[in-house]
Amino acid sequence: MNAQLQLWLGQLRRLPLVVFVILYTAVTGGPLLWVAMMSLRTTAEIFKNPYGFPSPAHWEKFADAWTKSNYSTYFWNSTIVVVIAVVLVTVIGAMAAHCLARYNFRGNRVVRFLILSGLVLPPQLLILALFQILLDLNLYNTLPGLVLVYVATHIAMTVYILEGFFAQIPQDLFDAARMDGYSDFEIFWRVTMPIGAPAIFTTVTLNFIILWNEFLFAVILLTDDDKRTLPLGIMHFTGSHQLDVGMAATGLMIAIVPIVAIYALFSETMIKGMTAGAVR
Amino acid sequence: MSISGWLSRFTGRNSAAPEIDARRAGLGILVVFLAPALLVYAAFTIYPVLRTFYNAFHAIKPHGVVEFVGLGNFTTLLFTDSIFWKAVTNTAIFTIVATIVDVIGGLLLALCLFARAPLAPLLRVVWFTPVLMSYVVVGIIWVWIYDYDWGLANAVLHWVGLGAFEQSWLGHPSTALWSVLVAHEWKWLGFNMIVFLAALHALPAEVLGAAELDNCGWFAKLVYIIAPMLRTTIVNLTVLSFIGKMMVFDLIWVMTSGGPLWSTETVSTYVYKRAFEWNTFDLGYPSAIAVLWFIIILVFIAIMTRLLRQRDRLEF
Repeated sequence: MNAQLQLWLGQLRRLPLVVFVILYTAVTGGPLLWVAMMSLRTTAEIFKNPYGFPSPAHWEKFADAWTKSNYSTYFWNSTIVVVIAVVLVTVIGAMAAHCLARYNFRGNRVVRFLILSGLVLPPQLLILALFQILLDLNLYNTLPGLVLVYVATHIAMTVYILEGFFAQIPQDLFDAARMDGYSDFEIFWRVTMPIGAPAIFTTVTLNFIILWNEFLFAVILLTDDDKRTLPLGIMHFTGSHQLDVGMAATGLMIAIVPIVAIYALFSETMIKGMTAGAVR
Repeated sequence: MSISGWLSRFTGRNSAAPEIDARRAGLGILVVFLAPALLVYAAFTIYPVLRTFYNAFHAIKPHGVVEFVGLGNFTTLLFTDSIFWKAVTNTAIFTIVATIVDVIGGLLLALCLFARAPLAPLLRVVWFTPVLMSYVVVGIIWVWIYDYDWGLANAVLHWVGLGAFEQSWLGHPSTALWSVLVAHEWKWLGFNMIVFLAALHALPAEVLGAAELDNCGWFAKLVYIIAPMLRTTIVNLTVLSFIGKMMVFDLIWVMTSGGPLWSTETVSTYVYKRAFEWNTFDLGYPSAIAVLWFIIILVFIAIMTRLLRQRDRLEF
């Protein structure tokens, strides 16, 4: 009896913790659930009762949003820009990181300082001049221009994470590879890259999420509707459907669903990727 | 991006490794490995930075008209531009409050999961979800939450019997900044929580066990044992969060565009407005704002890393 009472008291002491946990989960999940429900209801239904369940569910709204607005264009623009930028920044970032981590050469410190100082540069310091420079180069309002800007502004973080990891690979491996007659490129491609794969995977995830969500550079460097990336497109779509809340909610869900779907499959990798660098 | 770890890389702790053949490379090899990164970086990051500094001392008008104005932009900015000072005040409030909430809130959430709350692994995934969303999505969702007529915020207040507090959250100058701040924390708390959770799991279990044996209360345990052992993490997250908030743009642009009555204007939104929204057609003045703000950020980073870091904990 006494033991049972103690157990019960122990549970009671945890009650505030449980209540808080439930509340916070409701705060993070609630708004998302709300938008999900609104996305399946018409605006008339929403204005009658903003918090009702979607019955009947209007799935056709998704098809409408995708075909009747430029959503497919925004989606493909984002995909093209982000995939190319991530591939480029990973390859050239890994090459630079390998070089800085592996070779002793005059100027190593200077190059490292130059690249890593990019970590503290606020985008606001770049955007106005980038606007001018891309205008000069006829790259303003083009997707290749945006790709170049994305690559340049994310080299610092990529090199920072990769170089930290590459530097921990034992030197013996490289000495052995050199003795076996590997060339410098073979060493990079067949020693550093396979062993550094976890770090590379991390930077790919991190860069992908950041660039997929990027807004500031895109809003300044792109103006045409058919060049907009997804974040710009969502903003435009919501703006032009201001009174049609139901349709705007459907548009939001189109942006949320892919991220949440990928997250459901790869949550550990994505969490690790987003917090890389801060956890070290 | 841990700042003190990053700084420590320049303090010359590269151990003098014995000269081995595999650490040497010809100039050609170095150029091939470094050139792509350095070229793109030089053209689209270093050059723009230098050009912004140049712009800051000039008036840049359309059709290639460039006039040297010396420190003119800076004196106007500092002594006659009241909107700039309003933006600085707002950014300062936002930065300080959001950084404190980020660090303390993140630590408390992490402790909830560390204390084996039911379903902790699942909650960890759910609480992190907002971190992955774009500011545009988060901003629009929160604009709806704050809607006066049908928003969730007023509905919840009404439901718990606090109907007297219902208001147009983003429409009043007195509540707009705080409302945006709540939305910002909704997105970022999960990030800090995950970082703290990783640090907590890395703590030596025997120390916590010893505290348990000494009948140490949970609050004492937090203040005297856990917090000091997490010092490095706390410093890193404080600096990281501080830098991020000093540059806050996206969420504010989506939710309020700096309004109403400049009440959510931040330095970043003001730079954008002066460059592309006001019909002043001068890129020099906003560049001066960006340069001044960058220098202030650098000074703060230097002060914070110096004040907060312990010398013996430099390497991690």
